Amino acid sequence: MIKLNKISKVYRTKTIETTALNEIDLHIPKGEFLSIMGPSGCGKSTLLNIMGLLDEPSDGSILVSGQSIKNYASRETSKFRNQKLGFIFQSFHLIPDLSVLDNVELPLLYRNVSSKDRKQMASAALESVGLANRKSHFPSQLSGGQKQRVAIARAIVGNPEIILADEPTGNLDSVMGNEVMDILTKLNTQNGTTIVMVTHDESMAKKTHRLVRLYDGSQVA
Amino acid sequence: MIKHVFKLLWNKKGSNALMALEIFLSFIVLFFVLSYLFFNLDRVNQTLGFETENVWMIEMDAIDKLDSLEAVTTLQNLKRNLINLKEIESVSFTESIAPFKGNQWRTGTDDNGFNMNTLMCPVDTDLLATVGLNVVQGRWYTEEDLNETIKPIVVNQAFIDRYYPDKSMIDSIFILNGDRRLIGVIDEYRYIGEFADSEPTVMELTDYFQNMGNVLLKMKGDIPTSFEEELYNLTNTTIKSTSNTITTLEYERAKDSNESWVLIVALLFICGFLCINVALGLFGVLWYNINKRRSEIGLRQALGAHSIDITKQFILEILLLTLLAVGLGIFFAIQIPLLKVTEYPDSLFYRSILFSTLIIFLLVITCALFPSVQAARISPADSLHED
Repeated sequence: MIKLNKISKVYRTKTIETTALNEIDLHIPKGEFLSIMGPSGCGKSTLLNIMGLLDEPSDGSILVSGQSIKNYASRETSKFRNQKLGFIFQSFHLIPDLSVLDNVELPLLYRNVSSKDRKQMASAALESVGLANRKSHFPSQLSGGQKQRVAIARAIVGNPEIILADEPTGNLDSVMGNEVMDILTKLNTQNGTTIVMVTHDESMAKKTHRLVRLYDGSQVA
Repeated sequence: MIKHVFKLLWNKKGSNALMALEIFLSFIVLFFVLSYLFFNLDRVNQTLGFETENVWMIEMDAIDKLDSLEAVTTLQNLKRNLINLKEIESVSFTESIAPFKGNQWRTGTDDNGFNMNTLMCPVDTDLLATVGLNVVQGRWYTEEDLNETIKPIVVNQAFIDRYYPDKSMIDSIFILNGDRRLIGVIDEYRYIGEFADSEPTVMELTDYFQNMGNVLLKMKGDIPTSFEEELYNLTNTTIKSTSNTITTLEYERAKDSNESWVLIVALLFICGFLCINVALGLFGVLWYNINKRRSEIGLRQALGAHSIDITKQFILEILLLTLLAVGLGIFFAIQIPLLKVTEYPDSLFYRSILFSTLIIFLLVITCALFPSVQAARISPADSLHED
């Protein structure tokens, strides 16, 4: 499903060169729930961004869903990201000026789905995360756990093959974190969605199929 | 997408209202300034009805100090002396109501069964040839008309259009300071100036008398200004006074127009300054908004928006806001022609609405383009990480 071949990422300024990722080789088969752990600054989020085609590697190649990505700024890559990938972020990234339903509809907006179908699909996604009664609320009216469930609904509304979650439980207490984790596990087991999750929490990582550890940009386990 | 953008605008109506108000007020100011500009340009583009090229004018301040008999004799001598000069083709005497001098005489009557108000312009028989008036109906004055019992008059087309439209009035008699018989209609005689409206005007034939202090001279071709000295000396000698001024109608026309142009240019300058301020304000607000919404931009890119979608979204946001503000402006502006608030032509206001709308949209698109393109260049990985 995702194949990283000697992926390196180097950030360069006039005076400093920082290696964020160093020749990472990783293969994530379809339906796997993989977690990535490591200390802060080890390159976890960078790796996730590269898998999500949000960032371009300095070196190496990447194959996602059987497709090799060449031009990261092209319309095709945007379309690919829209149809194959779903994102969940630690800080939710909900648009404060849009209602819960409108936030969940967002990915469909770039897919030419009719307004009626968008509403139906977004409502179904919200129902699957247990927030059907919060459609017209605004993000500021929700708790942290509810916000993250909205973000999950937004990630799954377009039925992506892969979900990339960057510390989805990082801003939540353990009860809410477990709720979110249960939803992700259910998505993986019931829908066969491939999930790659970055986490700091060992207990959450243990609930996944496989754990990859990074240290200073290199894969150590 | 339009519905989505509209929702975004509506949910931020508090902060968007100020920007919409700024655009609305700019539209209104622009509408009034453009209406004033078009109004004056329309007048400038209308025919004056007479020629100013190669027409000179002598202003004689001392003629009204002579007694009436002496004035008539002096003016007749002056005319004879002037016409004898090979440089001069035609000579016409007028009162103080001369082209571009700012003097006017108005009269009115309701003796004809309706209110008639008109400009009066005392003329002699030679004005037609001197300034090249265009007779569109009937004829111009002859010397014999001075002896007619019922005074003949010539009017301009604006007079006919206002008081006797759609019928031939030649040889008809009406009352205006006594009985008058209409013998001719001229195209136009806007002697007040280029920015003056076309008004009903009566050209009244007048014999020589002491108030005829202005002489119009049709020159034979482009006579050098050195001829002024000879003309000046001849005039001084004939009327025994040195308080005479020689000028040209071209010069007087330019001088008269400049005063109006100064006001127009000043208004345009103020309006231009306002537009620049609005543009800078819009640019600043958009730039600030985009920086505040970096994570939203990154998120949209992560969810599948291409950079063109991001640019389109921001431009669409400001265009919709402008549409609302300008729409409100048009609603108020269009009341002026619809409710006939003024007697000016409706087309003037419709043109101003159209051009104000175009200018505002052009201004807004120009200001929105750069920040919107910059927004599309934001790296999603960076902006999502910043929050």
